[in-house]
Amino acid sequence: MKISEEVKISDNGFVFNSKTGDSFSLNPFGLEMIKSIKEGKDFEILKNEILQKYDVDDLTFEKDYYEFCALLKHHQIVVQDNPTDFK
Amino acid sequence: METLKYEKPLISKITAGIPNKFGLPVKQKIISEIDGLPVSELIEKYDSPTFIISEKTIRTTYQEARRAFETRYPKVQFAWSYKTNYLDAVCSIFHNEGAWAEVVSGFEFQKALSLGVHGSQILFNGPEKSAEDLTLAINHNACIHIDHFDELYLLIQITRKINKKARVAIRVNMDTGIYPMWDRFGFNYENGEAWNAINRIMLDENLDLIGLHTHIGTYIMSTSAYAIAATKLSNLFMATSRKFDHWLKYIDLGGGFASKNTLKGAYMPGTETCPSFDDYAEAISNAIISSEIPHEHLPVLFLETGRALIDDAGYLLTTVLANKRSTTGRRTMVIDAGVNLLFTSFWYNLGVYPSMDISEYVEDTTIYGPLCMNIDVVREAINFPQAKVGDQLVIERVGAYNMTQWMQFITYRPNVVLIDLEGKTHIIRKKEELESLQSFEINPKK
Repeated sequence: MKISEEVKISDNGFVFNSKTGDSFSLNPFGLEMIKSIKEGKDFEILKNEILQKYDVDDLTFEKDYYEFCALLKHHQIVVQDNPTDFK
Repeated sequence: METLKYEKPLISKITAGIPNKFGLPVKQKIISEIDGLPVSELIEKYDSPTFIISEKTIRTTYQEARRAFETRYPKVQFAWSYKTNYLDAVCSIFHNEGAWAEVVSGFEFQKALSLGVHGSQILFNGPEKSAEDLTLAINHNACIHIDHFDELYLLIQITRKINKKARVAIRVNMDTGIYPMWDRFGFNYENGEAWNAINRIMLDENLDLIGLHTHIGTYIMSTSAYAIAATKLSNLFMATSRKFDHWLKYIDLGGGFASKNTLKGAYMPGTETCPSFDDYAEAISNAIISSEIPHEHLPVLFLETGRALIDDAGYLLTTVLANKRSTTGRRTMVIDAGVNLLFTSFWYNLGVYPSMDISEYVEDTTIYGPLCMNIDVVREAINFPQAKVGDQLVIERVGAYNMTQWMQFITYRPNVVLIDLEGKTHIIRKKEELESLQSFEINPKK
């Protein structure tokens, strides 16, 4: 999963997708997540970082993270890495 | 190391071109306590969901309504509309405040009697009155509001049979300029049906015509409609006096006053648009006082408002069961109270609020109830913060009709708890159990 090249993210949480013309706003934690995804951070690494930094348990974070990812996919903000790359 | 406060990651699409006249609220409203009692403690003690009724709000609202009318009209009497909420404890509070009983069935009539209401202080409305019901009403000297000619002739028959007089009024329907015009109950004013009914009653020696009644509709936001109704009843009142030299004792304007709930499709919230008791009182009192009725014969003004007197006193405490995303990415939330408990959610955008500060970020959300039925939608669209599973919510203004029109469907009906004037809590209707429900059933196959 990677952020689409057409998507621009500002430091104050504003997102613009030039492919669809849609714009979005992120809450501060959403901004942190999208930046981590952009950096290509692996979920397990990200989870460990978040669990240390925030008052949240692993299952709550996992549930929220995947819901967030599903929304990013729905809004065409993220694209598949390589659909033909079977691991 | 101290951890930071966690908040669910969120992304919201910015929609341009749909201006919101009111903007978003600066701060999300929170209902953390009811009459000084924390919501969390109430749920811990009485489970979720639970209906809460505030005695303080009932009494304050009733006194406010009385003040509005009694300062404008010399003789006013409220009659508590049983069908709006006929829990014994609720009815008893209204009777304690001085309200008579307004009932629409034999069941409600018997309930009023069981609560110690004197038969002569019961107004018996409705289209369904059996011969047994009418006999009961006559024997208790109740005020029977006749709905149609078949009922009138049945009443004549019964009074002859038992050789007793009945105290009666007629229900009148009329055009008051509102839509829809309720013409299914009572005798019509404009086509002369009501006048014919009055003439027939006055000819019968066993019927004592003492009043005129109307109920123009429900959730009526136009006070002028009440003024028209009061004027038309005053005309009938004077016509009866002129022809029969008979002064009726009362004019009953029924109910239908709007509560502060917001109707579905309404542009403005109900709190901003609903007339106050003063507005209704001004319109009705002015119309009767400025009619031809001489001051010394002014009738008692009866009012049967239910919704506006009890809606604000009722709360439903509920808990978040799940959060989901629809196929369109829309946020949906499932709570443990559905349309089985909230009949009024079919016509109101009920106010649903968190009981604690959850999050400052709101998202357009659909709130579903717990029933495995597609119709179980409590709110189709509401800007709501990111409540988690287990978070407790409060639905306000649910005192009217929900605790009478609720359904025992799929699950049990919950506890109803009254908070009295001293802040003490009392279960006034116990949560249902399998045993209590099965006690009505007979299984020949077992």
